[in-house]
Amino acid sequence: MKLTRRTLLATTLLPRVAIAQADQRPSVTVAVQKIANTGVLEPLREQSSNVSERWVASILETPIARNQQGKLERVPGIASAWRRISPTTVELSLRPDVRFHNGDVLTAEDVAFSYGAHMFAANLPADIPQIAKRHFPALERVEIVDARTVRIVNKTPDLTLEGRLSAGGREIVSQRSWMERGDWAANAKSPCGTGPYRLNRFKPDSELVLDSHDMYWGGRPKLKSVRFVEVPEVASRIAGLRAGEFDFACDIPPDQIGEIERVPGLKVQGGLVTNHRIVVFDKNHPVLANPKIRLAMAHAVDCQAIVDSLWAGRARVPAGLQFDFYGDMLVKGWTVPAYDPALARALLREANYQGGEIIYRARNNYYTAETATAQILVEFWRAVGLNIRLEVKENWPQVLDKAGPRGVRDWSNSAVFDDPVSSLVNQHGPNGAQQTNGEWSNAEMNTLSVELESGTDPARRQEVFARMLQICEREDPAYIVLHQNAVFTGHKASLPWTQPPSFFMDFHGAWGA
Amino acid sequence: MLRYLALRLARAAFTIVLVVTFAFIVLRLSGDPALIIMSPEAPEEAIQAFRHAWGLDQPIWIQYLDYFGAIAQGNLGVSFRDGRPALQLVAERIPSTLLLTIPALLLKICVGIPAGIHAALHRNSLTDRLVMAAAVAGFTVPSFVLGLLLVLLFAVQLGWLPSGGQESWRSMILPVITLGFGGAGVLARFTRSAMLEVLGQPYIRTALAKGVPWQRVVRGHALPNAAIPTVTIIGFMVGSLIAGAVVVESVFSWPGVGRLLVVSVSNRDLAVVQCILLLVASTMVISNLIVDLLYGVLDPRLRAGASGGH
Repeated sequence: MKLTRRTLLATTLLPRVAIAQADQRPSVTVAVQKIANTGVLEPLREQSSNVSERWVASILETPIARNQQGKLERVPGIASAWRRISPTTVELSLRPDVRFHNGDVLTAEDVAFSYGAHMFAANLPADIPQIAKRHFPALERVEIVDARTVRIVNKTPDLTLEGRLSAGGREIVSQRSWMERGDWAANAKSPCGTGPYRLNRFKPDSELVLDSHDMYWGGRPKLKSVRFVEVPEVASRIAGLRAGEFDFACDIPPDQIGEIERVPGLKVQGGLVTNHRIVVFDKNHPVLANPKIRLAMAHAVDCQAIVDSLWAGRARVPAGLQFDFYGDMLVKGWTVPAYDPALARALLREANYQGGEIIYRARNNYYTAETATAQILVEFWRAVGLNIRLEVKENWPQVLDKAGPRGVRDWSNSAVFDDPVSSLVNQHGPNGAQQTNGEWSNAEMNTLSVELESGTDPARRQEVFARMLQICEREDPAYIVLHQNAVFTGHKASLPWTQPPSFFMDFHGAWGA
Repeated sequence: MLRYLALRLARAAFTIVLVVTFAFIVLRLSGDPALIIMSPEAPEEAIQAFRHAWGLDQPIWIQYLDYFGAIAQGNLGVSFRDGRPALQLVAERIPSTLLLTIPALLLKICVGIPAGIHAALHRNSLTDRLVMAAAVAGFTVPSFVLGLLLVLLFAVQLGWLPSGGQESWRSMILPVITLGFGGAGVLARFTRSAMLEVLGQPYIRTALAKGVPWQRVVRGHALPNAAIPTVTIIGFMVGSLIAGAVVVESVFSWPGVGRLLVVSVSNRDLAVVQCILLLVASTMVISNLIVDLLYGVLDPRLRAGASGGH
């Protein structure tokens, strides 16, 4: 071939210019305290981890999505529509244009695999099927109607199926990719989903890099890549943000917000997420066996003071253990027990409280401002005459250790989908951690939990939920709701990003929205 | 000499067994890995299944025997979190840590020893005061504070260097200075003290009285005799090369063994923690052994004593 100036330009320079022009999208670096608690990118193993909620939905998607720019209400996702066939069955209509990161088109087979062998096969790590069973407690089968239609069939009636299909841990994976990689361990580090970003590389405890999935059904992602870097120290995250090395710095404590906002060009966004900070009781404790003492402890706490002093008013005291996105299931007019030290003292007198010691176990700032909150709580309780001893523990097994009298402990509860089953039943019902840990139980609550899970009459379900709140927060207190949690993210003010009302860092819908 | 070496090696092995046994017991008694890794919200069946899969439902003494049996076969266990052999995980991180700790060690030696010698030779002068003030600052300012101060100055204010990560050679500068500054201060102080002690000895006065030039007295008599405490300190520093940067790695988000140790301890990833401790204990013990042998080279009296001579 004769080499001319034209052919030289055509074969070397011009394609590069064209590529550069084709992809002018920005990339961002996000500094987080932790990328994944369990060191893998697997939602089932990462269950109940708030940190992985930041990126999971960028890689893997649930059939039904949540409106991250609204109130987390259910919206079409990779299922363009869904309908109730019967109290036990939901039919999903899959979009025709959904492609996995390996280029395959999503079919009903992938959904059946994701809720079948991917969750329940015998060769999975032993904990995975057990966690999946909690996500789908009565799943009977996944029925393929045709390539784009699939039915999720439950053994028992379940009005929460649609909610469950929108919650973490129910993501759809590529069957072919999963089988090619061969085992759970390989897939857990290299998931192949349909989300707007695909995995480029993952170094546990260090870095997670996601690249744009240009064939994304929801349109070409607006960022070329998203890089999450693990920076454990908050001071280092803020310093990196100020130095311009990070575009985002996550997990900013409320007392650092002003510090960041004083820097020109930086801002902090944040708000309430679907997670409540609570303290829970062990009613086997000799003093706490009397529900009046537990209720007295609830009336002794000024939750609003905690919100004002430690959260600069940016969190809020919710209406008990319920969340706004419950919609019709929200028990209107319900509140947490009012701050009333006189009533607390009267309840202690009625209970004939003799000054017995109550152990309060907390962790050292596992939750935002946890230690300060614990110290404030102790003072509130002491102020009404309770004898409290605060014990700060290193990890959960130490907090839950049955040796030594357990009294009160710190916790938080999330609602993973828009129904009370996702929180009150999942965490305090018969299979919830508070009961399986042997801290609290109530026969009526357990009966009602079953009814709430399998009930099909919305009005009756609402009644049941209201009664459950009455039991858990007044009659036989299981916990005290302190405040709804909030998360704060510092970032360059020039970036067109809006923080969703969740832990998820949405770099598709929330970019330029 | 062989008997001396054999005795030292036996002691070293015993020390390593003690360290690993202590870590084994403490880690198992201070938190159930299943609950830590899976969280208290996990279903009880999942937690039980995890315990069974990893042998955590066995009595602790059986776990202990299994562990030492595996070590004897060269198997240091598998990470709960990662699923890969613990040794492989640790080995992947060692080069990153050495990238910080070796230059930091060189910095400590190259700055600390000359500074200590200079301060001793100019006792009570202005430079002596300045060197000692810097040395005291070096080992009293916590590396966490120093690291953040350096980040604020060089990354945030001046924008000259990155604040963390492991992007390029420039990322190494601040953590190496943070690590090196404190150690240089320690070495400077020990070197100065040792030099002052030696310079006050009768044989130094004798050498000077015999007309030996000052430079030769310092180089030929003072420095070798002052080397023993300095070599001891350097031995400790060499021993902490693998896991001596825990705090600095956290401040600078450096993906080394220190970060792995913190994450593994908090997750009770027992095999990884034990593997790191085994390596750290071995490095420390070997380094001390080398220091002990160096004593004999530096001071013939010790060599004679070890071989039973007079």
